[in-house]
Amino acid sequence: MIAEGSATQQIVMDKSFWAATAVFGISYSLIVSERIHKTIIAIFGAALVIAMGILSQQEAFHSEELGVDWNVIFLLISMMLIVNIMRPTGIFEYIAIKSAKIGKGEPFKILAIFAIVTAFISAFLDNVTTVLLITPVTLLIADALDVDPIPYLISCALASNIGGTATLIGDPPNIMIASKAKLDFMEFIYHLTPAIILIMAVYLLAIKLIWGKKLKTKDELKARIMKMNEKEAIKDYSMLGKSLFVLSITIIGFIAHGMLGLEPATIAMLGAGLLLLLSRKPNLHSIFSEVEWATIFFFIGLFIIIGGIVKVGLIDLASLKVLDITKGNLFAMSMIIMWFSAFASAIVDNIPYVATMNPLIIDMAHKLWPNQAGIQLLHNPQLMPIWWSLALGACLGGNGTAIGASANVVIVGMSEKMGNKITFAKFLIYGMPIMILTMIISTIYVWLRYYVFYF
Amino acid sequence: MRAEDIMIPVIDFLKPDDTLKKAVILLRTTRSGEECIGSKGLPVKDDFGKLVGILSMRDVLKAMLPFYMDMLDLGDFSWEGMVEGIAKRSGERLVRDIMSKVVVAVSKDAPLMECIDHMLKHGVKRLPVIGETGAVIGMLYEHNLFLAITKEMFYED
Repeated sequence: MIAEGSATQQIVMDKSFWAATAVFGISYSLIVSERIHKTIIAIFGAALVIAMGILSQQEAFHSEELGVDWNVIFLLISMMLIVNIMRPTGIFEYIAIKSAKIGKGEPFKILAIFAIVTAFISAFLDNVTTVLLITPVTLLIADALDVDPIPYLISCALASNIGGTATLIGDPPNIMIASKAKLDFMEFIYHLTPAIILIMAVYLLAIKLIWGKKLKTKDELKARIMKMNEKEAIKDYSMLGKSLFVLSITIIGFIAHGMLGLEPATIAMLGAGLLLLLSRKPNLHSIFSEVEWATIFFFIGLFIIIGGIVKVGLIDLASLKVLDITKGNLFAMSMIIMWFSAFASAIVDNIPYVATMNPLIIDMAHKLWPNQAGIQLLHNPQLMPIWWSLALGACLGGNGTAIGASANVVIVGMSEKMGNKITFAKFLIYGMPIMILTMIISTIYVWLRYYVFYF
Repeated sequence: MRAEDIMIPVIDFLKPDDTLKKAVILLRTTRSGEECIGSKGLPVKDDFGKLVGILSMRDVLKAMLPFYMDMLDLGDFSWEGMVEGIAKRSGERLVRDIMSKVVVAVSKDAPLMECIDHMLKHGVKRLPVIGETGAVIGMLYEHNLFLAITKEMFYED
């Protein structure tokens, strides 16, 4: 399968090779150590890459191969803007209260419905945003029912990480993969969503086994839930209508972006722009200041640091190693990437991880099929399962530990505020088995779909 | 006029390790001024006599509000008995966890404008007044300033 002695150019280990490697190595170690905020490291590292001449500023800011991936940046900013405009309408409180009422105040039913709702919202919005919008209501409901809130918190984080995997816009790794591999929204729906629906079904069974019997309440407490009037949550009907209208158009835009020949970032910008245009006297200052600029600049810095090691040939060297280990067996490679990604993402942030893996995979593809280029290469039928394995591993791996995903960090912070901290060990007891379970399902899914039945 | 001239001398103080139960008894019974019983806020001093915070009625109210209700607008979905339940469980909480830690204080010689400036800019309704030794000697309330202002309007020198 592998073209032996394919066109690998000689890697020159000169000064700039070692400089780029050092910036990359030191930056990533510092990010993992969490001693300095990751955004500060990324921005400083990126500046060094340019200042030391590893990349020219032109390359860092404008090169599609080596520089900042503005498709990712503008997609993230635009989606954050849309949420910032929607949040004050009260729609998220409405959905959460309504869900609890549909659950008739039954603690486990509510837990399950919240998991489904969280997964669904996460598929379209950022995971952390989803968790920040849903958990306050789940904590209120847990208080009303006088049940342990911890299962609700943990399940919210796990479900948001699972749901986020389902679509192109659900989780940053998918956004990055889609942009580099030129995959469109519908390809993610077609290839990943079925896996996530399956995983969600098994997840619901798993939480039924874990928490189903433990969560009990009294009938008079259920009445508290049924007395809540979800309509009171809606603060601005006119803005709500406009938001839902624009959100629907945006999602239709995502569905059609491949056919329209527009990048996802363009669709998201159209959505954000239209919603701003329709808002009456929008509070621009607060809408824009609530964009998570620290996260955005983290991405910008990372792209430049990675661009440096791509240019000097470190990625080239690493891809040779991976090809050497897997002997060009693509099924083995897909499985190794999936499981390695899962454990790597459970321990470190999956964003820098995927930012590194993308060019690595593209480089391997160049070596495997030296005669192909562009879309033909990126969408080589034998390469496709590797992209899906990377997405499944990197997104679902976040469930493994309390630090594996930003959503987990958020719920741990909340539990601390409640005075009942979810320790690293406590999260691990639930998160790790769920992660391994979802990885086993993903393995079977990828194996059957792409290596047995080929569809 | 200076802060010292219109402040209410403080007799009772709270300690950071006092329980909320003990603190509210003091808040309800302390003598403030000539006839007034009870206070809207008391200074909290550590073992070295250093001012570390103020516990006010508002802080006690804040202690009832679960943190998640601060994150979203959920007041419409609370229930009768919610506060009562939290209040019953809060008696043993410590003053240090509930008090307002950022304290703006004025010296006893501070002119009234300085007091008004601090109150408005920091959004507080009471200021501890610090004496020569650095100890808190009194409290200056919004009400005291209001009376001082109105006095000026009606009385010639």
